[in-house]
Amino acid sequence: MSLQLSRGEVTSPVQSQESKSTAAPHEKTITVAVAGNPNSGKSTLINAIAGTRLYVGNWPGVTVEKKSAMFEHGGRKIKLIDLPGTYSLSPYTQEEIIARDYLVKEKPDVIINVVDATNIERNLYLTVQLLELGIPLVIALNIYDEAEQKGYRINTKAMEEMLGVKVTPTVATKKAGLEELLKAATESADNPSRYLPKQLNYGDDIESAAAVIRTHISEQYPSLDGIYPTRWLAFKFMEGDSRAAEEASLKMDAAFIDKATAHLKKAHGDDMESIMADERYALATGLTREVVKRPEVRKVEITEKIDRWALNRFLGIPIFLAAMWIVFKLTFDISQPFGDWIDGATAGPVSRLADKMIAAVNGPLWIASLATEGVIAGVGFVLAFVPVIFAMMFFITFLEGSGYMARAAFVMDRAMHSMGLHGKSFIPMLLGFGCNVPGIYATRTLENPRDKALTALLLPLMSCGARLPVYVVFIGAFFSSYAGTVLWSMYVMGIVLAILMGVIFKRTLFRGESPMFIMELPPYRMPSLRSLMIHTWEKGKHFLIKAGTYIFAVSILVWFLLNLPWGVENKKDSYLGKTGQIIAPVLEPVGFGNWEAASALVTGLIAKEIVVGSMAEIYAVEQAEEAPTTVSEDLKEMGTTFVAAAGDSFRNVFATFGIASISAEEDEGASGLKTVIQKTFTPLTAYAFMAFVLLYMPCVVVAIAMKHEFGSWKWFGVAFAYQMVLAWGVALVIYQGGKFLGIG
Amino acid sequence: MGITDILFMVLIISGACYLLYRSLWKRKGHCQGCDSETCDVKKR
Repeated sequence: MSLQLSRGEVTSPVQSQESKSTAAPHEKTITVAVAGNPNSGKSTLINAIAGTRLYVGNWPGVTVEKKSAMFEHGGRKIKLIDLPGTYSLSPYTQEEIIARDYLVKEKPDVIINVVDATNIERNLYLTVQLLELGIPLVIALNIYDEAEQKGYRINTKAMEEMLGVKVTPTVATKKAGLEELLKAATESADNPSRYLPKQLNYGDDIESAAAVIRTHISEQYPSLDGIYPTRWLAFKFMEGDSRAAEEASLKMDAAFIDKATAHLKKAHGDDMESIMADERYALATGLTREVVKRPEVRKVEITEKIDRWALNRFLGIPIFLAAMWIVFKLTFDISQPFGDWIDGATAGPVSRLADKMIAAVNGPLWIASLATEGVIAGVGFVLAFVPVIFAMMFFITFLEGSGYMARAAFVMDRAMHSMGLHGKSFIPMLLGFGCNVPGIYATRTLENPRDKALTALLLPLMSCGARLPVYVVFIGAFFSSYAGTVLWSMYVMGIVLAILMGVIFKRTLFRGESPMFIMELPPYRMPSLRSLMIHTWEKGKHFLIKAGTYIFAVSILVWFLLNLPWGVENKKDSYLGKTGQIIAPVLEPVGFGNWEAASALVTGLIAKEIVVGSMAEIYAVEQAEEAPTTVSEDLKEMGTTFVAAAGDSFRNVFATFGIASISAEEDEGASGLKTVIQKTFTPLTAYAFMAFVLLYMPCVVVAIAMKHEFGSWKWFGVAFAYQMVLAWGVALVIYQGGKFLGIG
Repeated sequence: MGITDILFMVLIISGACYLLYRSLWKRKGHCQGCDSETCDVKKR
């Protein structure tokens, strides 16, 4: 390896690195920053190295803040810092600021620069800037397998010599090349002075101007030496980057810098920022030409073939809607038999077991009631929707991993513009289909506060997984023959209303032009099964945690509210019943003005899935008297019904999108709550109720996330007010409109 | 209903309220997208 031969000029950051390395090199934790372009596979690489489960997706901008992972390698503790993906180190986006601040201020021992081997030229633009920092750097030439498949021949030796850093081909998804990469990183961290990257020459005129400014900085601020990379600072000053001066707590002498760069601006006929960008691009282009040999005849790639249809001006949105419809149809068909199995198991064997256990210890009757009619009815009923949520998350993860979600953001760009936003705002909204909370946090990727606030306001209209249980119960009770289509209509309703509300907000609260948006479209990839499973689990486990924490807690509180004052005969006279009666008249015009629905909606403010849990408690479905069974008989029954459910699910997948078996099962005997609902609601009021649940105020967790992200309750207050009005208005239109048309 | 029942009820209600406080307020609404990271030292 010619690494030592190609060391560049020694710059001030070297001293800082050397001083750092004096402290017991083999005992200290090595800090490794992982930096690179968006969607180059940084998080995937960290997951592969450290066994973590950082969120990954085949679209740019998945990581919005730096995250860390610790692990041991060869007896050394290594701390990996996953920086948000950036195209440069300019201070224009939140991701760039986070990445740059970390690299400049925290000074990691080594940077692993993840470079997408299929797109080296664009990635090297960032590499060139990372080299300016003077921190030991190792390049992970990631997605190397795809580059080879495309016929690219990359001369890594030449690349190493030109940049003065180690270059290791890696395939993070297959864990290939990781040992070599870690070895290179630890060597570089242990011997920073030997592994300093080359400082690339930007040309004599630029370098001499930079040298003058560096000398000026060193004279004016001698304390900065060894703390800040002065060459990098000089370039930033030349570019007029005032944030860099603020960070280093020094005053930029504008007159001096103007004088030092005047000849450059005159010679190039441009501003310094553009001149520097041109030089860096020229270097990246030149380096790429030297090290990459591309096949002479370029094949039309599969990505281009698919995109001709998926991004078509007229077909793009219909294809997106069709893809979503297929997702919902498959979700229903696959998961419903398992959901019914859990419902049957909790209502039957689990309840009976709880009863037996409480009776065995002579527990009071109210405890038995709390356990079966409170906890098991509430939590158990919600748990029945675990399969449907996991199925939905599986398909959403598949679409994310395949690269289609980035296309969805692209095709939605025009619609987003109509509401004063751009396609980038659709990404937090797509995340919102899983859970609105990470969507709210993802708004931090948006540069301007106006976009952030508007996106956060519209995001709760995206139907999150928590609303699924409500849909599943009502669709199962009233619309089982066209379940997928009705479920799809709920999601489309959310998107359409978000666009409409966006247009209204744009003309009222958020006047102004929507910014332009350029989005990188990643190539289509087949996500690995392992990655699909891990990320489906990461998304879905949140639902299980909720069931074990606040759904459990609310189920208990709802039971007490339904049974207090103590000894109340009719639930209507309980505290919850009385609260429901106060609210019910408001819901009368929208078709569900009964205390039961009103009370369930109140409890749903904590989390939307609690609506069905509360309904299960409120309606306290009486189970038919059954012959006593033993625990072993119950277990046997659970086993046989599970096998039957798996068979149904399997048949549904291959029933060419038919749901005949589910419909048949519904006819055989719908679950208790569905039967009660069929008596209380009509198809029309059921649809209005689902729309109301979709739209009425964001749950408490979203409220807290909004407060956390925006620092005040203001935007939550706006969201609360407009969503309540919208939910009531839409439910009114559905119900009264339906009645007028003679439906339901 | 005896004093034991009342005490038991108060205990259960307090526990449920604390669970709500801890999972909703104290964690500032963090959920799957926010905490999918780990800082545990893992052997490789």
